[in-house]
Amino acid sequence: MGALSFFKDSIYAEEYASYKGFLQCLDVRIKVLIMLLFVVCVILSKNIFVIFFLYLLCLLLNIFSRINILFFLKRTWIFIPLFSLFIALPAIFSVVTPGDEVFGFKLAVFHLSITRQGLLSAGIFLIRVVTSVSFVILLTLTTRNTELLRALRIFKVPQIFVMIIGMCYRYIYLFVEVIENTYLAIKSRVGLLMPHKKGRDIVAWNIGSLWQRSYYLNQAVYNAMLSRGYTGEPKTMHEFKTSYLDWVSLFGSLAVIFLALYLGNAKI
Amino acid sequence: MKKLIFELEDVWYSYLSKFPALCGVDLKIGEGEKIAIVGANGTGKTTLLQLLDGLIFPDKGVIRAFGNRLNEELFSEPDLARNFRKKVGFVFQNADVQLFCPTVKEDIIFGPLQLGVGHEETIKRLKDISEQLNIAHLIERSPHQLSVGEKRKVAIATTLAVSGEVLILDEPTAGLDPKTTRHIVDIILQANKNGATIITATHDLHIIEEIADTIYCLGSNRNIARSGASKDLLKDKTFLEENNLVHVHRHAHADAIHTHEHEHIDHHH
Repeated sequence: MGALSFFKDSIYAEEYASYKGFLQCLDVRIKVLIMLLFVVCVILSKNIFVIFFLYLLCLLLNIFSRINILFFLKRTWIFIPLFSLFIALPAIFSVVTPGDEVFGFKLAVFHLSITRQGLLSAGIFLIRVVTSVSFVILLTLTTRNTELLRALRIFKVPQIFVMIIGMCYRYIYLFVEVIENTYLAIKSRVGLLMPHKKGRDIVAWNIGSLWQRSYYLNQAVYNAMLSRGYTGEPKTMHEFKTSYLDWVSLFGSLAVIFLALYLGNAKI
Repeated sequence: MKKLIFELEDVWYSYLSKFPALCGVDLKIGEGEKIAIVGANGTGKTTLLQLLDGLIFPDKGVIRAFGNRLNEELFSEPDLARNFRKKVGFVFQNADVQLFCPTVKEDIIFGPLQLGVGHEETIKRLKDISEQLNIAHLIERSPHQLSVGEKRKVAIATTLAVSGEVLILDEPTAGLDPKTTRHIVDIILQANKNGATIITATHDLHIIEEIADTIYCLGSNRNIARSGASKDLLKDKTFLEENNLVHVHRHAHADAIHTHEHEHIDHHH
């Protein structure tokens, strides 16, 4: 239930987009472009310190955009980076990445050692994922969903893709509620403690049932949108308009990105 | 003779081509009329309303709306589609499905904006409707934080913001307390007074006489089993019994338990 409410908060975190923070004041098109360039820069940089610097910059932008730092860290470190950590873990061992031993230990008859090179490559991989995810989440937190979708269309992202994202977003909250209600229904009937096998059976049955219900909900939300004139291109009250601040931010970001790319790829 | 808004001729519809929902429905609805669609569960009321709103199309038969044939071709013409959506509004049975924006305000202005209504006019509609429905204090809130009754009112507001000509409502008072039910009925009546045609699917017999002049009853064979003036049909016990609209109810009056028919007309207790 805790995970579900966290998920719910994440989906409905659009309140941050209405704050009067730095990123919220930027034109959505400029903001999308800046964030995209930062993500590309993170991917292309090979120096862990440069990527770490970009991560700090992201946290700084987060503070200037008046987003609760704990909320932001929770959102950026759970799921994708943790999953990446599990993927990167084997790389720290000498079996995968040979190099200078930092720490060695015996596992049954095998001698395993953690190498400096292994730690470095796993570290770069992890910080790269965290930084990229952080920039993307910062963009979504500081931008209203409908405006973000409109900006994607300006960048020529195909309409069908934008439409699917829009619909997913709209019905995902209902989906979370269905999961929540199903969980409560199970709890009220069988309690929390049950044999593992029974628990597995219930989970399996639930997955099938949720699949069917999600299909129904998706269709119902789409019908509700169609009924009010939706044609695939979301229209909002907000008109895109650039200001002096947008251009200063764009050129400032470009300068940082070029510097980071130079330092991140230079043999220092 | 009133101008015809909807005309259905021998309309058939089935889900997945194997579960029949409607079998040969004929129906005529005139401008400004108040119509109730009644019938037991599973007789196709919601399907019929979705057909009228052009969300699904019949397997067989013809539906005409405002003189045009209501089919996929009509909705492939942007102008015709927009014109139809501007005239016909649909309040879904599940308000959660209808309220998909982050705030009530955005939900109310969603329809007008999609239909190309100007920004000033959209804001005016938001203000007028939220005041009329007494939901002005809710507009900055997220729909998922509202009570069932509030959600239902907001769902009606989202529809009224788009259309004033035809209001299709799918069980608008289901699960509401008497006071909220009264408010919803008043909103529907006011819309009708302003010239809107009202088409309501409902099980609440106690509100039918107010919100409908004519009743169309869908029977177990999934077509119109009977139709007529609501005053007359509501007096016909056989008709009500046959269509699961009344049931036998057990009461205790001064410790004496007795059983009698319960019609839901007068909120009998």
